[in-house]
Amino acid sequence: MTGRGRTDGSANGAGTPPVVEFAGVTKRFGPDVLGLDDVSLTVHTGEVVVLLGLSGSGKSTLLRHVDGLQLPTSGTVRVLGVDVGAARGSELRALRRRIGFVFQQFDLVGSRTVLENVCTGALGRVRGPRLGLPTYPRALRREALEHLDRVGLGDRAFQRADTLSGGQQQRVAVARALMQRPEVLLADEPVASLDPESSEQVMALLKTISRENSLTVLCSLHQVDLALGWGDRIVGLRTGRTVLDLPTAGLGRDDVMAVYSGVGADAGALLTTAG
Amino acid sequence: MAAPTAGAGAPQRLAARPSASSTVAVFVLLAILAAALWAFADLRINVATFVDGSHQAVAFARRTLPLDFPPLPEILRLCGQTLAIVILATLLSTILSVPLALLAATTTTPNDASRLGARALIVVARAVPDVVLAIVFVRIFGIGALTGVLAMGLHSVGMIGKMYADAIEQIDAGAPTALTATGATRLQRIAGGVLPPVLPAFVAIGLHRLDINLRVSVVLGFVGVQGIGFAIADSLAVLDYQRGIALALVVLVLCIVVELISGAIRTALLGRAAAGPLRGISGGLSRLVHVRSAIGRHTERRDDGLDLDADLTRDPRLRSAAALVEGRLAPPWDARRISAATYTAITAAVLVASVVASGVSPLEFLEALPRVLASLGLFLPPETAGLFGALLEQLLVTVQIALAATLIGVVLSLPIGALAARNVAPTPGVANAFRLVILLIRGIPELILAIVFVVITGLGQVAGAVALGVGAVGFLGKLVADSLEEVDAGPQRALLATGGSRSQVFFAATVPAGARAIVAHVLYLLDTNIRSATLLGIVGAGGIGFYLISAARVLEFGVVTTILIMIFCTVLLVELLAIWLRDRF
Repeated sequence: MTGRGRTDGSANGAGTPPVVEFAGVTKRFGPDVLGLDDVSLTVHTGEVVVLLGLSGSGKSTLLRHVDGLQLPTSGTVRVLGVDVGAARGSELRALRRRIGFVFQQFDLVGSRTVLENVCTGALGRVRGPRLGLPTYPRALRREALEHLDRVGLGDRAFQRADTLSGGQQQRVAVARALMQRPEVLLADEPVASLDPESSEQVMALLKTISRENSLTVLCSLHQVDLALGWGDRIVGLRTGRTVLDLPTAGLGRDDVMAVYSGVGADAGALLTTAG
Repeated sequence: MAAPTAGAGAPQRLAARPSASSTVAVFVLLAILAAALWAFADLRINVATFVDGSHQAVAFARRTLPLDFPPLPEILRLCGQTLAIVILATLLSTILSVPLALLAATTTTPNDASRLGARALIVVARAVPDVVLAIVFVRIFGIGALTGVLAMGLHSVGMIGKMYADAIEQIDAGAPTALTATGATRLQRIAGGVLPPVLPAFVAIGLHRLDINLRVSVVLGFVGVQGIGFAIADSLAVLDYQRGIALALVVLVLCIVVELISGAIRTALLGRAAAGPLRGISGGLSRLVHVRSAIGRHTERRDDGLDLDADLTRDPRLRSAAALVEGRLAPPWDARRISAATYTAITAAVLVASVVASGVSPLEFLEALPRVLASLGLFLPPETAGLFGALLEQLLVTVQIALAATLIGVVLSLPIGALAARNVAPTPGVANAFRLVILLIRGIPELILAIVFVVITGLGQVAGAVALGVGAVGFLGKLVADSLEEVDAGPQRALLATGGSRSQVFFAATVPAGARAIVAHVLYLLDTNIRSATLLGIVGAGGIGFYLISAARVLEFGVVTTILIMIFCTVLLVELLAIWLRDRF
């Protein structure tokens, strides 16, 4: 209701076609648990949208709906013009190929080299299973190395992935996502396991990539300061509902903290604070 | 929406209410214990039997000594043949197990039907004893290596397939999910995200089974699988104990040597930290290579005037240029890559040597295929030859032997295993000493234990039960020690901090945490003991195995089939009972 109104009001990407479009999306886990509660959200090309909210507020669930790792109970999710809920098999894989995803735990294959991990980002472009770096075409390996250079880790290409620090592993994960040549990049708490300095590095990297490639980024975070520093727009979630959706420009720390405050208080009071 | 509901309405009880199914489970366990005690008494396993047997042992020693070893080349030939068969059998079962495990693991299976189908195949493979398969295959492929390879290879799928599936389910789901998110297909996800993290475990499990198969292969010699077991069976059949026992000693040494080698490889595979230092042979190799590559870099610097690798780390602008250098698209031949390639080459060489030494050829297999139907026809329909009552009685004896052996194994293993656990033993020295005892017992094949006890107690069930019981210490003692060591140290520290004594901590924190795993292991032991009891019956240690081999010798294949079905049903029943019980602890 009010959340949707705010989405329209914030339309900072007006004029470009929407990249991600949630229309009345509800996700139930069992009869009692609501993952997402009537979420409507429109994201335009090149926007960096930061999702804020407590653990369990639905940030990950929302991101996972974007590339169909989870499907809505009701409502529709359209991404890059494709109805995610209706896509199956190869159509879904084709869509996922256009969406990069970076996870909190990096989720690299630790026993493999950094370069091979980056190459796995191109699996959607090659046919058949691949095991081992030599099974990827040279052109792909060269491209992977360029992405590694871009995230500043070209010199680590042939190390085992688990020998890198957390921040470095997350940059490898970003390079793996870049390898997909994505049009949308999802990041699920990409810096939650990192120290402050590495966090800044990773966020700066995401921002740079977004600007240079006009890549749309949806990123969930826990740190309000990072959100204000690197996001174009902040979407606050609480128990699966959007309770805040505003451009970061002119937004203060206290405005955003309202997303976290007054847990258990009624939603109306909160929205007033947010406004 | 989920408002936290406090446990305000909790009943004022001082003991937890046990659930119905866990109560039943406890009663079932008690019933099994009672049955084991009854079996122990009914088989007359007691001191008197051993005292009576002592004079037989003296007589036996007189007939055995001096030992008559065959010439060394002959010993080496027999060992080589046995090893070749065992290696090929284990290889066959790992090859069959990988796809089965991928279908059976919940994280990689395409659907429920394939998962249940694969699980069922694995259980069936486990329930059909290898000796039974060997008896059938001897009819089809004749006496030789192929019979052994197929019998052990197919039966091992029951263990390897299950452990592979467990290993697959245990890996972190993160990397496979990340690959799904890139748009990878199921096969790509498995090859890229599932296989790399489980490969070390796969190899370690295979090596573990190799140790087991080596022991089994000796028994299979008695039903016509070539190698050292065949030679032992030949000697014992003509009562040439001097030669037979000498060969048994050779087997003992072979088993211990293989166990030590495979144990070292397993530790290196599973224990080596990601970037940890390499040890042993591989360590020496990598140090050697390190020196050489350092020399190589030195000359390169002189030639080009540019140390590319070193400058790359300093100047980010050079990195992109370097990206286009063709040579950098493949990993450099550093120490790790060279040692990996060396191991691969050694493995390949061992496999080729095994194929040559065992004399197995695909042609032999193909030639035998047309005979399969005719040979299988011999085994049908199942017949009882009027022996059904006697067979049932013998089956009961086999189950009794397994129960009593498990009881003996548990009674011996719990203290030995606990003392071998480093976090329980009073001093590290005690722990090491008991670890050594366990290792030595593991090294002795059950067959040799059985022969020793057959000598001491005479032919019959007591020998089988005691041999299996003592042999179980090698398996269960190690698992008990490992389970106790794996117990999370946190609660133990917490209890020590409250001022608890060593024994209080052991019973309040260590035992409860390890109990679940130990119950599962004991049930697994009972399961294997039923199969082993059947096996040992073949060498005269009591039970239905003796009827099985006798029926096969007099070509009463219908009776063989009946016995097979009986054993299969029994093992399956125990297996299902074990699965049911494991879920409730």
